[in-house]
Amino acid sequence: MNTETTTLVTARLQRPVARRARLPGRPPSSPVEEFEQVYLRNVDVLMGYFARRCRDPQTVADLTSETFVRAVDGFAGFDPRRGSDRAWLFGIAARVFARYCEQSAGGRDAVARLGGHRLLDEDEIEELTERIDAEREGAALMQRWAQLPAVERAAIELVDLEELSPKEAALALGVSRVAFRKRLSRARSRLRKEDHSNE
Amino acid sequence: MSNFTDHLWTDLVREHGPTLAQVDRPKPGPARVLRRPPVLAGGTLALAGVGAALVLALGGPAATPAFAITTNSDGVLLKLNINSSLPQANAKLASMGIHEAIGIQMASGPATVSGPVTCTPQAGVTGPPVKVLDGPNGTEVISPGQTGGNTGVGTWHLASCSVFSSTGETSAGNSGNSGNPAATVIAEPSTKPVPGGTAVPVAPAGSVSSGPSGNSGNTGGG
Repeated sequence: MNTETTTLVTARLQRPVARRARLPGRPPSSPVEEFEQVYLRNVDVLMGYFARRCRDPQTVADLTSETFVRAVDGFAGFDPRRGSDRAWLFGIAARVFARYCEQSAGGRDAVARLGGHRLLDEDEIEELTERIDAEREGAALMQRWAQLPAVERAAIELVDLEELSPKEAALALGVSRVAFRKRLSRARSRLRKEDHSNE
Repeated sequence: MSNFTDHLWTDLVREHGPTLAQVDRPKPGPARVLRRPPVLAGGTLALAGVGAALVLALGGPAATPAFAITTNSDGVLLKLNINSSLPQANAKLASMGIHEAIGIQMASGPATVSGPVTCTPQAGVTGPPVKVLDGPNGTEVISPGQTGGNTGVGTWHLASCSVFSSTGETSAGNSGNSGNPAATVIAEPSTKPVPGGTAVPVAPAGSVSSGPSGNSGNTGGG
């Protein structure tokens, strides 16, 4: 990487994200800017995804960070003409969370790629704690769906909670649209049956 | 934007900005769509067209099968010449009555150890052991021009592999290398390589009847 490019990247760093988020919707002029737009569109939704699964602010922060680090690694392969960035990121997030669960069960450190665990400051902890609280309802829904097979739970979460289209959700889960619709239909049917039996 | 998201972006650009700046992004334009041959019209001309398409798929320069499944008493060996063909391979396993689905995770760079990777069976998996070999010896190279928009260009290897039960519960994988059994071999025509180099856990065998459509090229990110 030449000095000019490094300077450019460093200069981007100096600008606050909020100001950049208000830039007009012109096409990105560089991969960094394109990724930034992807980040801004999705970081909040992904935080919510993890906040429904974890009660610890630091873990939510780490998993969100890890998802974007992996997204950087795979950005060369992401083609927006083939599917939305949100679907792509949810696919990554699902794998990050699966790996986190696996490593947590093994007592190993799950996420430490972004310069190790960057400890959150007090404001960030408070912010993320509020976010976790805000996702309480979603977390309760997730618990209610706990009896569903994982794939059906993922299907119903992505469509009914995250409001992805079935096509996008199928993409995120790496399955065909036909298979995905079957899962979604099965999941909804199971939940309907459960509702009837509880009445 | 919150403090956290601001800080995270700053960290991301500081740590990974140089990498990002050099990423080769797909050029804007219509996506390449895989089209099916017009086989539904019927009649002699249509049948002739189908025959030609098969010859091209099986005998042309890109005739390397996308995957091959080998079964014997040691279990199942899946050879992936193009890792994006995993959904089709899983569908084929299902059609063979093997109620297991394979999930893989790719990493960049060549494999440090050649040979197939043994997949970790998830709890509840009762089928035969499964191994996956990516590329000829564990390393897959996607060259410029091989894929639309040059997505996924580079050298990749299999980082981990898992086997999922037909109930669809997920599990994580490990790796390992072992021998190369041979018996029944089933080959399929080539498909497009996966962008980003990562394949994701795929549907359980019992619920998948076909692979992803032509618009599923982003399943490999991360």
